[in-house]
Amino acid sequence: MILRAEWIKFRTVPTWTAGLAAAALLVVALGCLFASGSQMSCMEGTREVKCPAPPTNADGVAVEDKFTFVHRALTGDGSITARVGELDGTITYPPPNHDQIVSGIVPWSKAGLMVKDGTNQGADYAAVLLTGAHGVRMQHGFTHDQVAPDFASARAAWLRLTRAGEQITGFVSADGTTWQKIDTVRLKGLPATVRIGLFVTSPSGVTVNEQSQGGHTVQARFTQSTARFSQVTPAGGWTGTLVGHSDYRTGWQKTHPPGHTESGGVLTVAGAGDIAPQTHAEGLPVERVLTGVFAGLVPLIVVAVLCGTAEFRRRMIGTTLVAMPYPGRVSAAKAAVVGAASLVAGLAAVAVTLSVGLRMLGANDVIVLPVPWTTTLRIAVGTALLLALAGVFAYGMGSLLRRAVPAVVAVTALLVAPPILAVTSVLPPGLGVWLLRLTPGAAFAIQQGVPAYPQLSAPQTVFDGYFPLAPWAGLGVLGLYALVAVAAATWRLRRGAA
Amino acid sequence: MRAALRAEWAKLRTGPAGLAVPLLLAGLLAAAGAALGDRAIDPVQLRLLGVRLAQAAVAAAGVHLLAGEYGTGLIRTTLLAVPRRLHLLTAKAALLTAGVVPVAVLGVGVAVATLPPGAAMLRAAAGSVVYLILIGLLGLGTAAVVRSSAVATGIVLALLYLMPMILRMVPDDDWQRALYRLTPATAVQTLATTVDTAALPMGPWAALGVVAAWSAGALALGALTLCRRDA
Amino acid sequence: MTATIEVNGLRKRFGPAVALDGMTFVVRPGHVTGFVGPNGAGKSTTLRMIVGLDRPDAGTATIGGRHYAELTRPMRHVGALLDPHALHPARTGRNHLMWLAASQDLPGSRVDEVLALTGLADVGRRAAGGYSLGMRQRLGVAAALLGDPPVLLLDEPFNGLDPAGIVWMRDLLRELAAEDRSVLVSSHLMSELQDMAGHVVVVGQGRVIAAADVNDLVGEYASLETAYLELTAGAGGIR
Repeated sequence: MILRAEWIKFRTVPTWTAGLAAAALLVVALGCLFASGSQMSCMEGTREVKCPAPPTNADGVAVEDKFTFVHRALTGDGSITARVGELDGTITYPPPNHDQIVSGIVPWSKAGLMVKDGTNQGADYAAVLLTGAHGVRMQHGFTHDQVAPDFASARAAWLRLTRAGEQITGFVSADGTTWQKIDTVRLKGLPATVRIGLFVTSPSGVTVNEQSQGGHTVQARFTQSTARFSQVTPAGGWTGTLVGHSDYRTGWQKTHPPGHTESGGVLTVAGAGDIAPQTHAEGLPVERVLTGVFAGLVPLIVVAVLCGTAEFRRRMIGTTLVAMPYPGRVSAAKAAVVGAASLVAGLAAVAVTLSVGLRMLGANDVIVLPVPWTTTLRIAVGTALLLALAGVFAYGMGSLLRRAVPAVVAVTALLVAPPILAVTSVLPPGLGVWLLRLTPGAAFAIQQGVPAYPQLSAPQTVFDGYFPLAPWAGLGVLGLYALVAVAAATWRLRRGAA
Repeated sequence: MRAALRAEWAKLRTGPAGLAVPLLLAGLLAAAGAALGDRAIDPVQLRLLGVRLAQAAVAAAGVHLLAGEYGTGLIRTTLLAVPRRLHLLTAKAALLTAGVVPVAVLGVGVAVATLPPGAAMLRAAAGSVVYLILIGLLGLGTAAVVRSSAVATGIVLALLYLMPMILRMVPDDDWQRALYRLTPATAVQTLATTVDTAALPMGPWAALGVVAAWSAGALALGALTLCRRDA
Repeated sequence: MTATIEVNGLRKRFGPAVALDGMTFVVRPGHVTGFVGPNGAGKSTTLRMIVGLDRPDAGTATIGGRHYAELTRPMRHVGALLDPHALHPARTGRNHLMWLAASQDLPGSRVDEVLALTGLADVGRRAAGGYSLGMRQRLGVAAALLGDPPVLLLDEPFNGLDPAGIVWMRDLLRELAAEDRSVLVSSHLMSELQDMAGHVVVVGQGRVIAAADVNDLVGEYASLETAYLELTAGAGGIR
């Protein structure tokens, strides 16, 4: 009954419904504007081509899967053992002068043993590997990474990978006699026959340049690594495959092609690329079409604040409390109405923006970075919830402060300003991180489509769209602020209406 | 005109702390930049980050000065006492400026006080003070146009904080660059920059000119609305 | 200057609704002029136009031949009580008058005089937001009298007054008119006006239906109330 009364009050003020509609329209319009103007093209050698969609892993996460694989078939259970070392390689044109090709390896160069479900990009795998500077690790499914504790800075090691059904176990040893288990992982639905063998890859060398206007630019350069595999057991029967490579070669690559050579039982494998989750480089993050949410928040905040202040400004609260003499329930009902109305407007706006925006991007040959459908759903529902909670927070602040200007300023400063300041200013990243932990602005974490992975060399700071809190935790911060604001407003209402 | 000024001053003196609170807050926010240290390529710009928060408070003060009267209905009494609406707006603008100047000078001064002085730093600091004055007037002008304090605040804050973000979604690069130069948010960054100034989209004085044009436009539109519309 | 109010052919539309449709009348000094008509007949809009709060679509409203906005210290020429709520609730009644006095170049002592005159001396230092409607009406009268103006406009001044207040207001208005001021009072209280007003302007649907001496109307219709009801029959204000 109270809820119904408050709903009628809300929808019968034309400017409020208009404001809410304006918020939804802004989200949609800016999303479509952005999508319509976006373009993307890729170079294949010297030819401009439509960008290929990046491969995805079993969960639908966009991945990079490019390496040199020296392999043979394994049917049923089995294992492979080898000593891996002498990781070496080439870095093209590194700083400071960017004028030379030097020898060296990047920290996340990888050389090791792998079991993979075929040689297609994105096929499931598990591997034990030696890295350039992060020791011995076991990785699988592109996103999972486990360091071998005693080998965190090893430069060479004995590695072993065994398969038993769907279980793959990785071992490491310093001497080839005492073995230490790193991890056992399960590759779901792994067929009886898989490829097993040696691999080498080497991601781009990355340097981050701080900008005087805040933020940074990232330079990436081609690298290639080689590694020597000795005492490989069982030996022989190798096939070499360059997984994920196109036919194009740079001049340098023509004289230093990736691949493998074998002499006296020692295999030397050269490779370039990476086996890792994809970052923003190869596609547009899906959440980018929802940037209009920032703009939509402003009319939403104004309307929600007015819902809170109008009763006091016009002394209507007297009428309300005479009709419904329960301040606590009235306050909760108002918050619920504002939240529900914002949620509905938000859901509609997000649904339209995502479906139309993504279709427009597709028509423009723009590759949207694939994410699991659960992530897309989380971004969509989460963004609508963000708008709903923003509405409740703004209502609570308006009702608590009973004055529109300070309430609008406070909500904007707490919710909208922190992500903008953290991302587009000279604010040191450390401070920006705290801003996005402690202010309601943390809620924008719900829109982050690609999580941060420690096993990547690309920077993953707030400037790059990575939030310090997990998506739902970030949204929870806003929820907490909203709850406190409404609770304080209710408390103040209980103490007296005037 | 003198009477209008006197009336506004008396109102401020006797009234609830409607202007003092946001202005003091603005001063504190601007001064808070002093706590940011100087570990940055451009320490002056880092210290002046407080100005970007202070501008919200200054804008709110400008909005409140006029829209607050519409909120309470006081405007009808005010216009009985000062029926020349241009005089009223001018008096309020003058008073707002007089109020912003000391807090902006103090706030910005504290923020950059411990940095080594230099022409670029003084230019950035002075530019930021003028910027804050202009943003206050922008708030006042907007309030004269829309009258509702919440809506006016929303419009000004959107202009100050969201424009750059929205502009990033403009597809055409030339348009984007052109529009980007025309937003106050670009100006506040340009004004505060003392390193790599050659890489900026425009010079500091041009940036200040852009903001001045916004404020003048808002005030002109506000004056027109004020004179033409019923109270 | 003379204290005559001249309203000449005022027209005003608010969207599709016609508020004023050629409102024309003259208010002369020396007696209280009643301004009566049904709700929505255009009384308040006319008063607001006289002091320049609303802009007419056509027509003029002048005081002693001049527009309100042309007056340098307008409250010394015209005192108006249009909306008793047009004040900041957190400011004290006395301070409300203080800033108004400053705007008209009047000494602060004048504030205490009008506070005493309107019986607010004891509550002047309390926030006006806490005033009852009757106290706000008195504060509005105090503001109107601040500049000792020869012209007074009062919109429904009896609203919210207690019986003693009504008597006080009636005597005050009569007294002010006797001092050769123009006093225009809109009201729905016909018996009050019959006792107090010398002249009455009856309006309906945005224009003047009748303007006559109260004595003539009472003579013709037996009472001002009967005269009003007869004259405004069919001229419903709200359309």
